[in-house]
Formats: sequence, structure tokens, C-alpha cells
Amino acid sequence: MATLSFSLAPPALLQLHDALICLAKFHDTVAIEAEFDLLRLSVLNSSKTAYSAFVFDADSFFETYAFGISGGRNARPDKFACQLYLKALLSVFKGRASGRDKDTAVERCEVELHDETDETECRLVIRMVCGLGVIKSYKLTYEQTTVNHAVFDRNKTLNQWSIDPKFIREITDHFSPSAEQLDVYSDGGKAIFTSFTTKITDGKEVLRQPVHTSVAIDKRDFELFIVEDNLHVAIALKDFKAIIAHAETAGAMITARYTRPCRPLQLSYGFKGVKSEFTLMTRGESSGDDTSTSSHAVPELSARQTPAPVQFTQSNAPSKTDHMPPPRSRSIRPLTGTSTRATETNPDSQRPSASINFDSLFVPADDDRQWDVPNEEEEEEAEDVLGWDATADQDTFNASLGPRLQDNEPRMPTQDATSRDEEMGIPPTQRISQLHGLGLFD
Amino acid sequence: MRFRSQLTNIATFTKLTASLSSLGKVCWMRLEDGVVRFTIIPDQGTQVWAQLPVDAIFEENTYFLEANSGVVNLEVPVGALHRALRSAAGATTAQIRLTKKGNIPLLALTVLASSWTAGSNALGVTDADRPGQGPPERSGPRERETLIVQEIPVKVLHESAIDGLHEPRCRDPDVHIILPSLIQLKSISERFTKLATDATATSGSVTGLGASSPRLELSANMHGSLRLAIATDSLRISSVWTDLVNPPLDPGQLSQTEIEQLPSERMRALSDNDEAAWAKVRIDGKDWGRVLSVGRLSPKVVACFVHETALILYVYLPGSWNGEDSCLTYYINSYAA
Repeated sequence: MATLSFSLAPPALLQLHDALICLAKFHDTVAIEAEFDLLRLSVLNSSKTAYSAFVFDADSFFETYAFGISGGRNARPDKFACQLYLKALLSVFKGRASGRDKDTAVERCEVELHDETDETECRLVIRMVCGLGVIKSYKLTYEQTTVNHAVFDRNKTLNQWSIDPKFIREITDHFSPSAEQLDVYSDGGKAIFTSFTTKITDGKEVLRQPVHTSVAIDKRDFELFIVEDNLHVAIALKDFKAIIAHAETAGAMITARYTRPCRPLQLSYGFKGVKSEFTLMTRGESSGDDTSTSSHAVPELSARQTPAPVQFTQSNAPSKTDHMPPPRSRSIRPLTGTSTRATETNPDSQRPSASINFDSLFVPADDDRQWDVPNEEEEEEAEDVLGWDATADQDTFNASLGPRLQDNEPRMPTQDATSRDEEMGIPPTQRISQLHGLGLFD
Repeated sequence: MRFRSQLTNIATFTKLTASLSSLGKVCWMRLEDGVVRFTIIPDQGTQVWAQLPVDAIFEENTYFLEANSGVVNLEVPVGALHRALRSAAGATTAQIRLTKKGNIPLLALTVLASSWTAGSNALGVTDADRPGQGPPERSGPRERETLIVQEIPVKVLHESAIDGLHEPRCRDPDVHIILPSLIQLKSISERFTKLATDATATSGSVTGLGASSPRLELSANMHGSLRLAIATDSLRISSVWTDLVNPPLDPGQLSQTEIEQLPSERMRALSDNDEAAWAKVRIDGKDWGRVLSVGRLSPKVVACFVHETALILYVYLPGSWNGEDSCLTYYINSYAA
């Protein structure tokens, strides 16, 4: 049985509301985890490509915060986790903190958890203490659960940039509202953000294709910019916009960390007792495919620092741009592709916080999968799934990226959006797997 | 086939594409030496044939066109073009050109915009792997530049594809009149349309109207009057404007005798009390609202009424260029009673 009660002052209430609005853009249930020194709200989207979490510090964010737990059915003795329907929770806070009506504005918000073993329903009770002695109480049903966290190892990230979200919002304002993906890379003194959509383009459909927009800004606009030149990573634009919108309201400098395409990218920022982290799966080619530039090669060294599955994509990537995979090995795929990966990665995924200093021993010498015909049926399940750590204590947060993370080999459709040369040919082929791959926008 | 040009009057171009995009999704853009034409031919509703001198939207000395026939015909998603042009608001320079990515022809709009930063930023290229980049450099308020490239997929139309497309021809109009302020006309039209929609919805009698929006009755005479009316089973409303101008016809183009034989002169001869002096058309309320969105360009509009047949609007854009050369022509069919 767990006891949890906390209270919020109006400014914190507003921030909680903002956080919930942001989380609601990812999925419809929110996981709430209470620990002795923090409260964490996290949402994992349905395709498991985006994980967002807000961590509220017990001392600095809340007016009062009390948490206690006693053994019993809880797997973890030091934390309590449950999940709630996000819309229900959001409606409680809607318009509460705006202070439109001065007299009955919320003066304090008290939240209490009723986790009674002898009662059939578990309730989260939220009391809004308003002016003139008005008290509004809400009882929400929750469901006990175990929470998965995306693990992301900040120490292993090779690329990092920080910027005022205002600049990023100016960039995304130029994008077509129907654009689905965002590609980020740097070239010389410029950081280039390109919006694109992975869709079949033929015949009449061409005109319905969303506009590709690329916006280049000076690296000097960034507080920090340590990124390998011409390294393209692509993330879902919708997620990115949701994050930027919140970061801008919070007025916090946003930091992106990533290693390479097909590995997660983390956007994070912190403000006034709140830490937020968004781990997004990226797409792109793990080695440069831009024929017009020569400096694309990913250093071998860094490749070895990252978990094994990346090596698959790396060895695959060159073949993607050049040839169509011959149909020969289609039947072999489950063996070479899925099962190799399974045997290679499973041992590691069972100990998520283990060291991730794999070396090339784990790399299969001969990867037949590169010849495969993309099979969207199977890859629908397999693509772009983040690694999980259900134990999720603070140190695994900073630990390795679970190697269960699986890679796909999407092609970058906008290799060089800013190239002005008309001769610049972009390979028109597109993997069918990209079309249904994420299930995000189907 | 090549085309590129710097843009001038970006606001005009943006507004033009905005009003065009309300009437149709795709637009036929015809680029010639000296003249640009935008045509919208929707399956249903109003056709637009807009002709502009090159210098109305493009900078003439950078306008470069190269094609075997001297003409470039493009099918452009006009909504996407409009959105892209909005990026160019406040641009330092903006260039548009026809290019290709793979097999897809594109109109690439390259915009250079600049703004001022308030604070100081560090140039964070202090990566240990690249020591050559130099130390971080700090700067105070400075101009920051943003380069925006919008790539709008287009289709290049072959001559044969557009051979069959001709501007509609109509008999000489019965009445021609300069329309009053479009915003006023638009709000009254929308008010009428809404009232009629509500009235039919509540009375439940939708016979003859079906799912389409109510028909506005627009009529005018050669004595400076314009009447906007709507009638349903439950209501009948009309607004009348008077003292509008019936513009004189250019005597340079027509001889006196030719002018005298025009139907409009016959209409002028009729007394303004006579119902026969009014030329009337019935138009779709919603479609009319979209047509009137051209008001954002604050143009001068001459409406030509062909009794019970069609309404043709000649929309002349204001501006420093040759006003008479840039004309948007809207062809609106009249519905039968």
C-alpha cells in the first residue's frame, strides 16, 4: 500500500497543466510514478517510437510532497506506479490556473492517492482549493501498472546541440502542416532542418505531395553545436513540434543529443524543478549517402562504441542507394535478419544496465539481410522500436541504450535539399517499408 | 526548359495565390515572355483566368525563361505555392526557379530572411576531434540569417495537354458595373447565405436545393444599381446599392455605331423602374464568397452581367505597374431558376 499526497501552488499548477498538454500530444494514457524525491509523468506513444517524461522534483516543484510505501504487492519497495487516462486528468486542470475569475481562482491544488487494498476501485483525488471557500474535488480511477522507460545514455552521444526553442519554432513555422518528418543535419556553418514526407510519388499524386521545406540557420544561433557534418537524422515532425511548443512556453533552452540515425535522439530541458526528456527514434541512413559530398563517412571508431545492431545498418546502407535488392534471399530473411538479431541482442536486452561497449565481435560477418526485399508485413512490427527498461530507476536512466532497439534502413529522401544544382539527382527509390513502417501516420 | 526569377511584390503574389487557392487545388501557370498567366478550372464553380505582366510579381531583369516554344506551362498546387510564399513575407530576397529532384519537377522558392538576435551566443564548435575550428566566439546583438528553401512539386504540362483549354467566350454583356467595396459585398453575401441556410435547415424544405448552398440572386442595371437578393420558402431579402458606376466602354476599341448596338446600350435606354432593365444571374452563395476573397488584393472590379447566363468579373489589381495589363477574369455561370 502506497500513500502519496502533494499540493501545488498556482504557478506549479500551470506548469503541470502545460506538461500534461504536451504529453497528451503523444498518447492517451499517462504513467505516474511516485518516488521519495520525485514524481514522474511519462507517456509512450502507441508505436513506441517516442517516449516523453516530465520529472518533478519533490522539494522545489511542490508546496508539500509526501510519499510512503509499504511492501505487499508492489514489485519495487521504493516506488509506486499507476496509469491514468490523460484526457480525464487534463480536463481537471483545464483553465484552472488562468486566473480569469479572480474571486474563485485556484489557490492551491491538493492531490491525494487512495490506494486501499480492501477497496475495489483505486482513486486519485484532486482537490482544487479556490477562493471564497470553494473546493472542487475530482476522483479519477487509475490502474496500477509497471512503467517502461526509454533508456538513453547521454555519455555515449556523439552529437549535441542546444538552442533557444524560439529559433526552432521559427523554423517549423515554415513547414507545411502536412509534413511528417524532419531531417536535421549540418553543413559548414549552417544547420539545416528539412521537412519531408515519405509517401509514394507517382502520376497525379505528385501534386498532392507536401512541399519539402528546408531551412538553414547559422550555427551561431545555437548555444552549443557539436555535430558531425552532413550527418542526417530524421524524426517525426509532430513529436518535435509538440516538444518545441512546450519548451517555448517553459522558456527553457532545449538540448538534443544523438549518436547517429536509427538510434534514439533525446531532447531535454529543465526549468524550475522540472526536468523533461523526450526520447525519439530517428530514421535516416547510418552512413552518409550524399554523393555530392565527400566528408560523410562516419568514423569507424564511433561505430564501434555503439551497440551491435547499428552495425547492421551501417553495412547495409551503401547497398541501399545503389542497387535494388535481388529477390533471391527473401526466404532467407527470417534467418539472417530477425533471428540473427534476436540471438545477438537478446542476451543484452535482459540486462539493460549492462555495459554497452560492444565491439565488432557482435557484428555478424556476413549480413545477408542487405539483399532482402523489404517486407513491410514483418517490418511493421520490427521497425523503430525503442529499447525498454521496466525497472527504471535513476541509474538506468543514465545507463545504456537497450540493445533490443531494432534498426531499419530507411533512405533519406532529401539528401541535399539545398543543393542548387539541377544535375543533382536524388535516387527516386523508396523503401516500401517506410510507408507503413511506423504506424504513426498511417 | 528553364525558368527562374527573383520575386518582387511578394505580398501581391501571396495574396493572389491565396485567393486562387480558395477556388481550386491546382492551377495552370503559364509563363511567357512578358506575361504570366494563372488559370483555375475547377470541376464545378468559378473559373479564373488571371493574366499579369511579368513585372507585377517577378523582377523583370532577373526573369529568365528558356523553352522550345517560348512558353512554360506548369500545373501547380496553388495552396502549397501560397503556403510557401508566406515564408517569403519579410524576406530580404526571394527567388523562384524550376528545377528537378529525381523525376519530380519542382518550383523551388529560395528565401533569404534576416532578423536580429538579442543576446549573445557561443559558436559551439569546440569538438575535440576538430580543433581546427577555432575557439568559441561570442557576439552581441547581431543579424541572423535564415535561408528557407520551399520545394513545391509541379507538373510540366505539354502543349497538347492544354490545347483544349480555352478562355470561355460569352456574348456581349447586358450590364457592366463597378462593384462596391468587396468586403461589404462579401459580408452581406455571407450573411444572406447563412440566413438562407439556417432557414432551409429549420423549415426542412430542401427541395431543389439539395446539399448545395443557397443561390444568391445578383442583378444590376445600367443606372448604377446593384441588387443582391436571396429567397427561400421562409424568407426573401435583398440589398440594393445605388449610384455605382457603369464604366464607359473604350471608344478606341469600338466605333460609335458598334457601341450603340451593344445590349448594354439597349439596357441603358430602359427606365430604371422597369424590371426588364435589370440583368440577373443566380450564383452559388459559397462559391461567390470564395470569389470575393480576391478583395484582399483591393482591386477595382467590373462585373459584367449576361442576363440569366453568366457573370464575368474583371478584377484589376492596383499598384505601380500598368494596371490595365494585370487582370483577373472570373467566369461564373448562372444557375437556372
